[in-house]
Amino acid sequence: MTLAGELESHLPAGTSLVFGQLYLTRSDDGTFEACHLDDMGKKDSLSPIDSVIDLRELAKFDAGGEYRPLKTAPSLKGGWITRSSESPEFLKRLDAIYPAVFATWIAYANEEHHPTSLRRTLDRQTGMYRFAGTISDQLANRMMRELCHPGCIRKIAWPIDDMHPVSRLKAQPRAIPVICTEACTFAINAARALAKEAFEKANPPAATGATE
Amino acid sequence: MLVAKPDCALLILGHGSTENPDSSQPSWDHADTIEKSGQFGSVHCAFWKEEPSFRQIWPMIEEREIYIVPNFISEGYFTRQVLPRELEIDGHTTVRDGRTIHYCDPVGIHSAMTGLLIKRAKEIIDDSVKLEDTTLIIVGHGTNLNKKSTEAITDQVEAIKASGEPFAQVLDAYMEEPPFIADWQTLTDSPNVVVVPFFIADALHSYQDIPVLLGIETEPTAAASQRDVFRQNPHRFGDRTLYYSSAIGTDPSLADVIVDQVSYFDEHYRS
Ligand code: SF4
Repeated sequence: MTLAGELESHLPAGTSLVFGQLYLTRSDDGTFEACHLDDMGKKDSLSPIDSVIDLRELAKFDAGGEYRPLKTAPSLKGGWITRSSESPEFLKRLDAIYPAVFATWIAYANEEHHPTSLRRTLDRQTGMYRFAGTISDQLANRMMRELCHPGCIRKIAWPIDDMHPVSRLKAQPRAIPVICTEACTFAINAARALAKEAFEKANPPAATGATE
Repeated sequence: MLVAKPDCALLILGHGSTENPDSSQPSWDHADTIEKSGQFGSVHCAFWKEEPSFRQIWPMIEEREIYIVPNFISEGYFTRQVLPRELEIDGHTTVRDGRTIHYCDPVGIHSAMTGLLIKRAKEIIDDSVKLEDTTLIIVGHGTNLNKKSTEAITDQVEAIKASGEPFAQVLDAYMEEPPFIADWQTLTDSPNVVVVPFFIADALHSYQDIPVLLGIETEPTAAASQRDVFRQNPHRFGDRTLYYSSAIGTDPSLADVIVDQVSYFDEHYRS
């Protein structure tokens, strides 16, 4: 099935779904609608946004005007509503807010897209990020607690290493899961910083005999 | 050049930034232009430092044949190592998971870039200014880390000289290695100087650092989208006049160059 077809079957006419910070509905005449979850009770007062470009712009900044490079940060602005009668167009609008997130869930649910363990992601890095691979499991857990848990609405589907698989994520009723199938650039960065900090703690400059 | 590939997807790759909201904009703009033209079944962008990332993009693409064009200025570490590794592709064409993936050359090395640089320089100088009285400087970052990007600039300078355009001089200059862009007044002796940054986006370098090095700003300023550093031309320095362009990658014609790289691929790399 096409992704647009999947979206239609997930959201038949007259139903609604939660998708991250979005509330999706489909009216009886088949029109798709999305707004912020916090705005579901006040649809009449919302400003319509009718283009992918404008939604991409909306998702770029939070309510305080700060740049949102991580699109699944829990800081999506409210006050707007978008409507489309075509599922391919509606999917593009969802992708403007949560790029690739719907497609990732469908591919994961169909077992066509498999999570990548943190170790494999970190071991692949080159240049200044190579050091991230030295992170301990304990610090990797801390990274997830400090970075992913408060700062991102995705549910982690990857294990730390391939020897310790994690259980598969399941969809809650009336919701499309927002999942993370591989550590993102922020996680790699945070892993590098924690690994470096631990290394420097264990090897203070005097102990390593700083001769350079 | 127009192509007709309704059964193929086009994937444009950009660097993106976790700090600068303008970094990915040119890639999105060019993608929107190409999508509207209807030449491909679908058009996507993916980024190293933004979303969708190189690792997230595959489930979004439904076509079985995909052309990838790196929206990068030169070949090098990114186009040869990082992008193929992150996208799990190898060589010009990769067949996997039922997909045929063609990896095109980066936009910056296409021969059409020369004409674009000339067009950009001519556009921003005043109509009354003669090219014979004007030096064109193509400016890049220039560090030892990225020899290829320096080479891409010197190649362009040679190509512009060979084009027969009557500029007084055509020079390359860099932020971090000689010839330094900060020395533009001593590097040139024509009354007019036009500076075009050979960058993909109006990111920190072209809207903050270079204007300071040129002397048109005293300190780094806000994001380009919130400012009009490029719209204040010309800048007067005694009897010299300086024109400063936005990054070449923001030129709308880059959308054509992206499509040209797909045609180039078909002509040269397709077996
Ligand atoms: S690693 Fe995944 S869950 Fe953690 S912040 Fe990045 S995208 Fe979110």
